[in-house]
Amino acid sequence: MPMVLLRCDKDIPEREKHIYLKAPDEDTRTYLPLANAPTIPGTLSERGCAFCGAKLVIGGVLKDTIQMIHGPIGCAYDTWHTKRYPSANGHFQMKYVWSSDMKEPDIVFGGEKRLEKSMHEAFEQMPEIKRMILYTTCPTALIGDDVKAVAKRVMDARPDVDIFTVECPGFAGVSQSKGHHVLNIGWVTEKVGTVEPTITSDYTINFIGDYNIQGDTQLLQQYWNALGIQVIAHFTGNANYDDLRGMHRAKLSVVNCARSAGYIANELKRQYGIPRLDVDSWGFNYMAEGIRKICAFFGLEEKSEALIASEYEKWKPKLDWYKERLKGARMAIWTGGPRLWHWTKAVEDDLGVQVVAMSSKFGHEEDFEKVIARGRDGTYYVDDANELEFFEIIDAIKPDVIFTGPRVGELVKKLHVPYINGHGYHNGPYMGFEGFVNLARDMYNAVHNPLFKLAQTDIRGTAEVELKEAV
Amino acid sequence: MTTLTVNQLLAYVQERCLWQFFSREWDRTENIEGILGKAADLLTGTPLTLETPMDRLFYADAKVMVDNLRGRFPEIAELPAAEVQGLISDLKVKVTEIAVTQSRNRELTQKLY
Repeated sequence: MPMVLLRCDKDIPEREKHIYLKAPDEDTRTYLPLANAPTIPGTLSERGCAFCGAKLVIGGVLKDTIQMIHGPIGCAYDTWHTKRYPSANGHFQMKYVWSSDMKEPDIVFGGEKRLEKSMHEAFEQMPEIKRMILYTTCPTALIGDDVKAVAKRVMDARPDVDIFTVECPGFAGVSQSKGHHVLNIGWVTEKVGTVEPTITSDYTINFIGDYNIQGDTQLLQQYWNALGIQVIAHFTGNANYDDLRGMHRAKLSVVNCARSAGYIANELKRQYGIPRLDVDSWGFNYMAEGIRKICAFFGLEEKSEALIASEYEKWKPKLDWYKERLKGARMAIWTGGPRLWHWTKAVEDDLGVQVVAMSSKFGHEEDFEKVIARGRDGTYYVDDANELEFFEIIDAIKPDVIFTGPRVGELVKKLHVPYINGHGYHNGPYMGFEGFVNLARDMYNAVHNPLFKLAQTDIRGTAEVELKEAV
Repeated sequence: MTTLTVNQLLAYVQERCLWQFFSREWDRTENIEGILGKAADLLTGTPLTLETPMDRLFYADAKVMVDNLRGRFPEIAELPAAEVQGLISDLKVKVTEIAVTQSRNRELTQKLY
């Protein structure tokens, strides 16, 4: 089956290169959706911007760090509180938002003085906080404010603070993926190796590409504690700024989200010789495999089997209860990129669910290689889908549930298709054994929710409804 | 002669193994050589070299792969070493074609990460 031109795309035929319907005996040598390419003007893309990729996804997760956003207030506000990543210190990073609050005169005359004042103000208001990430945005990058020079002045004036600058305005890339890239490479270049961590175990890892969504990191931490493995840095779930400066001391980089954080794992391997091990942290089968691999690396095989057996005993009966009731359900995954390939086989193997359509907002071609290799025949694989394409694909595949963000989710609810928040979760965490039971429970509640059927029923019957014009 | 085919092994690798799709051509080639090399050693009972961190990494991935292959294809345990080596060697060729030489991924040959 070749690439697909949907009916709604007849006026933008370039979209055909982004949509693939897999047929038996095909592989990614023949067909691979074009990805990480500019959005075609005029389509209703669901993508985020490059700044958002750096701030909202990675930097903003840190629990002891001021996130200073040099730009208009909207850039700060719109990347605050839209993702739920708690922390063990009372969720400092979710309570506050910081901005230089640029106004028109600052754009005309330059914003560096305003930024410097804002940075001092932030440190004065929060004297216990000594770390800051400073981000540029579209307007402040366009006028050429030198944020590195400002950061240096502030650090000179306050010797006990450390500031990392991310120069990745929204227009820097085609999607939020560029922000991941800029932050990863900047951090490993400027900050890794500047703090020596305290080593408490012979078995040390960095856990990379997990952002503690509704407690994912904290759930997985129970496993590392049980195995006696020290996580030097979580990149960046529930992490402190200085944890990430000591990443060079880990013996192994374990990567979950290879899209948002594969870069830093690659550089840690290249610069410090730390091997990179990719795992899937969602799903029983995959999680067990990931634990087995980490333990095989360190020679801890017996401990891994004991942990897996105890988790299976605790959680597998619950998972199976949901599997009985979800078998055959048709699911669509419309998220960022990696969750497509993390989830497609996990839900099939563990829950008997069929994934019939997948769309990625910022995945690269590597992500499509992974998901097409794992995914089913007869499934749609779409890059940077637009709103009309979502409608047409829903008509074609008739999903029982869609895992997506609230923006698309609220849209599909109006079509009486239930959605689960695939980014921030409904009632997570979803990682690990316990987490996958939570995911199954949320999916069960969505698929079997009687309200959706009731909402579809036209209670007017055959009687004609009198329409009155507004007077 | 075994009825087990290289395509059955390839289907397993495609479905389960993230290491085949690392970021760049050189990473993928290194993984294919390293992990499938260790898998062949495990399947044929050849003594393993686990001196470097990369040796241990390849072993970790290969061990899970071999355990899974033994579960899916019990006949693999009965195969003579030469036949196992032949299958793994053919598998390397196939995975390399899909993930490296015939991949349509435009980022594979970029010099930087």
